[in-house]
Amino acid sequence: MKLNKLLVVLSFLCLNAKAQVNTGPRITAMGGAGVALQDVWAAQKNQAGIALLTKPIASLAYENKFLIKEISTKSAVFAIPIKKYVLGASFQNYGINAYRETQSGLSLARAFGPKLLTAITVNYHQLQISNYGNTRAFSVQVGLQYQALPNLWLGAHVANPNSSKYAETTDLIIPAHIQFGGSYTFSDKLIISTELEKILDNKADFKTGIEYKIIKAFAIRGGVSMNPFKQYAGFGLALENLLVDFGISSHPILGYSPQISLGYEF
Amino acid sequence: MNFKQCGFILFLLFLGLIGYSQTNKPIKPKADYSQNADGIVEYIIESVAENLGEDFDYTEMVDRLNYYRKYPINLNKTSKAQLLELVFLNQVQINNLLTHIQKNGKLINVLELQGITGFDLETIKNLLYFSTISQPTGFENFSFKNMLIRGNGDVLVRYQRVIEPQKGYNIPDSSKASRYLGPPDRIFTRFRYNYNNNVLLSINVEKDAGEQYWATSGKKGPDFYSGSLYLKDIRAFKKIVIGDFALQFGQGLTMWSGLSFGKGADIFTVARQDLGLRSYTSVNEFSFFRGLATQVNLGKFEFTPFVSSINIDASAVFNPVTLTDEIGSLQQSGLHRTASELKGKGRINQLVYGSNLQYKTRQFNVGLIGYQTTYSERFAPNDAVYSKYDFTSNHLTNIGLHYNYNIKNTYFYGEAAHSVGHGFAFINGLISSLSPAVSMVAFHRNYQKNYQSYFNQAISENTIAKNEKGFYTGLQIKPSKKFEWVSYFDMFKFPWLKFSVDAPSGGFDVFSQFSYIPNKVTRFSLRYRIRDKEQNSPLSTNINFLEPYRRQNFRLEAQYQVNKSFTLRNRVEVMAFKEESDQQRYGFMAYQDVNYNPLSSKFSGNMRLTMFQTENFDTRIYAYESDVLYGFSIPAYQNQGIRFYVNGRYTVRRGLDFWIRYALTQYSNLTTIGSGLDEINGNQKSEIKLQARIQF
Repeated sequence: MKLNKLLVVLSFLCLNAKAQVNTGPRITAMGGAGVALQDVWAAQKNQAGIALLTKPIASLAYENKFLIKEISTKSAVFAIPIKKYVLGASFQNYGINAYRETQSGLSLARAFGPKLLTAITVNYHQLQISNYGNTRAFSVQVGLQYQALPNLWLGAHVANPNSSKYAETTDLIIPAHIQFGGSYTFSDKLIISTELEKILDNKADFKTGIEYKIIKAFAIRGGVSMNPFKQYAGFGLALENLLVDFGISSHPILGYSPQISLGYEF
Repeated sequence: MNFKQCGFILFLLFLGLIGYSQTNKPIKPKADYSQNADGIVEYIIESVAENLGEDFDYTEMVDRLNYYRKYPINLNKTSKAQLLELVFLNQVQINNLLTHIQKNGKLINVLELQGITGFDLETIKNLLYFSTISQPTGFENFSFKNMLIRGNGDVLVRYQRVIEPQKGYNIPDSSKASRYLGPPDRIFTRFRYNYNNNVLLSINVEKDAGEQYWATSGKKGPDFYSGSLYLKDIRAFKKIVIGDFALQFGQGLTMWSGLSFGKGADIFTVARQDLGLRSYTSVNEFSFFRGLATQVNLGKFEFTPFVSSINIDASAVFNPVTLTDEIGSLQQSGLHRTASELKGKGRINQLVYGSNLQYKTRQFNVGLIGYQTTYSERFAPNDAVYSKYDFTSNHLTNIGLHYNYNIKNTYFYGEAAHSVGHGFAFINGLISSLSPAVSMVAFHRNYQKNYQSYFNQAISENTIAKNEKGFYTGLQIKPSKKFEWVSYFDMFKFPWLKFSVDAPSGGFDVFSQFSYIPNKVTRFSLRYRIRDKEQNSPLSTNINFLEPYRRQNFRLEAQYQVNKSFTLRNRVEVMAFKEESDQQRYGFMAYQDVNYNPLSSKFSGNMRLTMFQTENFDTRIYAYESDVLYGFSIPAYQNQGIRFYVNGRYTVRRGLDFWIRYALTQYSNLTTIGSGLDEINGNQKSEIKLQARIQF
């Protein structure tokens, strides 16, 4: 039974043929609509979103895919402001022992005034399939965020625009995408964000999410994405310098994927 | 005219003004508005009644709203139960209003409403149609003398028929074929007597098209009678109903009869607002009770016992083992036109008795309901696998626990239900105003495949709340009074098979509507809805397998006032339907409304011209149509053609009104319309309605 489900999941992943970038439980709980959000996890989403950070922050996340013990995503992000720049680093390891994808990235983000944020990222991808061997590749990402109104941020992000591929011949590609969207702050308690995403050779997706702070230290989140129709939820706890976030996504066929992250602001 | 005279006249005018402004208006009836007259009731119905069938009768709700239109609620003297009757207010708003009055004392000016959390201008505008602010009057002193003076009644008679001859009426008696036994007229008579909302007597008599006015055998007289006497506030007896009544408790999982709403543009109606015991005043010939019920208030407790015995329509299936008849299915249409329909009429006795006990404070409310249903015959089992969990006995006990709780800006609600010996069902949700501009609603439901209740109208994607799990979120954003954005997202699963769905299945439903309201009389809205579900693939294979199908609606609507008498409205709607193994199919509809509603004229009316073109049944488009008062039509536009209707109202004098409605549909791609006994030879179908009302 367990093996069957694993096979089903793997065959789905093969059909989709896209590596899943884990954007951390906060952005995930908001439906993944994070292209115009600012957070240390922007280092895995739209790197321009780290440009306004004033203190170094690190965060680690563990995601269990579809409640199957064997499949997990481990990711880590780190951002540190250095003079006019913010340097970001990200790392992600996904898969099972027989199949493993690893992605490491370095980003340089800069704010041009308080309203315009930009970033450029280089990612290093590794793919290991036991009995088949290893392959690797580089890809580039560019991000932008702009404060159009006092309460409204717009964001845009492009990944792998030159369609770089793994060195060895393989059907697996490094996805090229374009995302744009907005986030609107209704009050200091409430943010709603949206995002439109087009992945090359895939259907366009629309995502939207909401974050509501019941008290200053505790936020609940929810979101949806349209293609396929998925629902998301989560919560976050900010205790002094410690940030604990939980998020869960629900796939219509494959089921739930919970994740948790632990962050620290130095 | 010299200066002195002028001054004198001005002085008189001034006196008049003072005199006018000092007139202390008690509850003075506002002018009599019908849903045709000002569209507000119509607008409310349309926003809440998204998914109901074509011929549903909304009388009860229209009655309620029209009553408050005429006798506005005094906000300083209202109750939660009364405000709930105004379907457009949500629970958080009601709670905030009552808390505001409790904290700050009685409302002095309607402008105060703007300061209450959750009250945007649109809501306030709607609320003020049905309410006023005045000091408490306290004239509940009931006496029979008052009853004659203050009471009011009305008699309403409606006649309607399809003009073109239909096949079922032209089959000679001598042939043994199935035919309509009665004439094609539908005649409806209603009588209401109301005293200060404390005594309400209502009687409905109806004969549908094709039914006999005077039956040749059996009971004589029109086909459907309904009546009730409703008494309110007699000491501890808050309500007493003798005759036909409806019961609505909690979220409708255990017990709900009469009107309920599905998912629609008004996202907050997904949280049911239960009204408890009501008298039944609609002409839907199903889902009501006949007997005796009362609500007794004892401190914070409300106790509602009820008993009902009614003969209902059911088809018969002969059981060769027990040699008795069993119930094939319950017939809900209320139509008794042919010999076979008449055969099932009132064949089964349904006995229901039970009670609801509720503990109520302003913030917290919990209720326990239990009842038994007994049918005079057993339900026949169906061999199909999808019917495996259907009810096959004749005796059922239901219990349910429902609650709601208000805290700060959030309203929690839910219900747990159990059919003894069968399954469970749960629903839990919340409404919250997250900021002055943003409100949300979310609920989770889990209805087991073997949950049984014959009075279950909880919110669901299936026709009844059974065999379904799902999670719904809705969001309403009103950044200013000019813009409104409403969306909902619903995901559902059906754990057991369904008719034409030979495996567990699932899907989603997403709705989004953006409205721009530049001023009081102008409104533009853009709507998109997408629904995905699964069903058996039409491809012929050895084993049925499921394939997804997708429905998408696009709607653009504009409403604007040309001058004080004329309002125009346009709508364009496109429906796209796609089965995986088939190409995309389209349906299209566009209409133009002209609404004539002068402030001071005996005439008012409206008309609509619709053009439609749909590729098949799956791309049909529904639209709510204006009708005579208490008349309703939500036709499905299908095939290709033009539909036109005109409604007119003539007020002879205060208390005497006439309505006329003529509707014509002309198809350009058909030579016969309809099927079976309803078939019309030709390409056009027209209908006339005449209605008169006397109020006294």
